[in-house]
Formats: sequence, structure tokens, C-alpha cells
Amino acid sequence: MDADALVHDYLGRLEVAAWSLAVDRRADLVGEVREHIATALAEAGRRDESTVRNILERLGSPEEIVAAEGEPDAVASALTATPTIGSNTDRAPWGAVEIVALLLLTVGAVLLPFVGPLLGLVFVWLSAQWTQQQKVVATAIVLTLLVLPVLLLFSVGTAAGVHTG
Amino acid sequence: MRGMVHGETRDPLTELRRGVLEHCVLAVLRRDESYAFDIVRVLSGAGELLTSEGTIYPLLARLRRDRLVTTTWRESDAGPPRRYYRITGAGRRALDAFGGDWARFRDAVDALLGEASQGGDAGGR
Repeated sequence: MDADALVHDYLGRLEVAAWSLAVDRRADLVGEVREHIATALAEAGRRDESTVRNILERLGSPEEIVAAEGEPDAVASALTATPTIGSNTDRAPWGAVEIVALLLLTVGAVLLPFVGPLLGLVFVWLSAQWTQQQKVVATAIVLTLLVLPVLLLFSVGTAAGVHTG
Repeated sequence: MRGMVHGETRDPLTELRRGVLEHCVLAVLRRDESYAFDIVRVLSGAGELLTSEGTIYPLLARLRRDRLVTTTWRESDAGPPRRYYRITGAGRRALDAFGGDWARFRDAVDALLGEASQGGDAGGR
């Protein structure tokens, strides 16, 4: 491969590697690197194959250059993403769905026995704020509290039945 | 060997370079406005600061986007016009802040490395 073909090939690879960049930025980057090569060749005063290879080697691989383009965004998004992954504290826990769910589970249990808390659970599961684990725990507690009195009543009833019988 | 210990992308020098290079470019520009090829030359001449010269272009674009540098096109004696980079007020402030941070960072690492080597000597005796 002669010197010009090497440069052409390199810029082609850069163009391909940079496909994910914005069109403006890609054109800018390829133009800058092309100019860099031209300047380096002019300074070297020679255009033989080994000179070109040396210049391209110093530039680094096209993939490496494009990777540097993406770095700050990757870092920035990692930095902004980190707090939202682990903490629900940053998110407001009280949306309309959550408030309705809590009202149904508390006041609703008094005003609409059985139906209120069950509806409340539906809203609990509709919540986008609460985690799966929180929903499972809430459901377990509510169902236990609903079923327990029934079981107690039933056992008292049978005990009473045994006693009278 | 280094790659085997730290993984392909975990060379500590690469990570360090990545972290400080932006400010090294700002430091070069604090002296005088300059064009990319010249900045590369200074950084390469200063030691192992820039291993892949092409990565200077994404870095300069970033500095431009963050308004830490401004650019102007100038005619050159030889070849096409060149884009000259000049540090802004915000760039100087960022560089000053980094200067303080870096001094503290360097001292802390030096102190720990010094302690470690002394501890190592003591343990060896």
C-alpha cells in the first residue's frame, strides 16, 4: 500500500468508527485528523510509506480517537446515573397513586372493610415509585391482616361449635 | 504484564492521563494561543502525557463545548488555515482550581508512597 492509500484507508476507518457521532462533529473530527496528517507530512518533508505509518501510529487507532470523543458523556452519565440507581430518596415517594394506595389501606380499611385494603393493594402495585420488594412486603402485611381475623373468627366458631356440640 | 494485573483498560497511567490531560492542554494554552498540532508537540515533548495524538481532537472539542477555550481560524504560512485555540476566563479559573487540587492530590499520594516505601524498608530489615 502506498502512502496516499494508507492515509485514505485510515480516514475511511475513522469515518466508519465515528458513525455514531453527530454528523457535524464527525465531519469536524475527520477534517481535523486529515489536516493533522497533512501538517505532519509537510513537517516531515517526506511522504514515503514508513513516514506515513509512523504518523498514523502516533495518532492512535480510529477507534481509540472516537472512544475519546464519547468519554466525557459516558463519565457524566455514569455520575448522574449513579445516584438514581440506588436511592429512592431522591424521588418523591408521594405521587397521587401512592397517596390513594395509603388512604385505601388505612382509612379505606375502616370505611370499606376488605374491599378498601384490596383496592389499596391494586394501587400499591400500580405505583411506579415503590420497589417490587416494598410492594411484596405491603401485600403480605395487608393480606395477613385481612386473613388473620377471618381465621381467628373461623377457629373461634369451630371451637364454639365443638364446645356446644 | 500491567494489563494482566489491571485488565486491558485499567492501566493506572492511562486513567491518570485521561484525568489530567484536559488541564495540561489548558496549561499549554495559558502560555499562548496555539493550534492543535503545536499543542500535541508540546504535550508529547513533555513526556508520556499524550500516547495517542489523535485523541487531542475530541478533547479540544470538549474544551470548546465547555467554553474553556475559544477558537479562531488563521491563515498559515504553509498549507490550509489553522484553528487557533485560546484559553477563556472560565478556562483560567478551571486551571487555577485544578492547580490547587493537583498539588494536594500529588502531596497525598507522595506521602503515602513515601510511607509505604519506608514501611517496606523497615519490614525488610
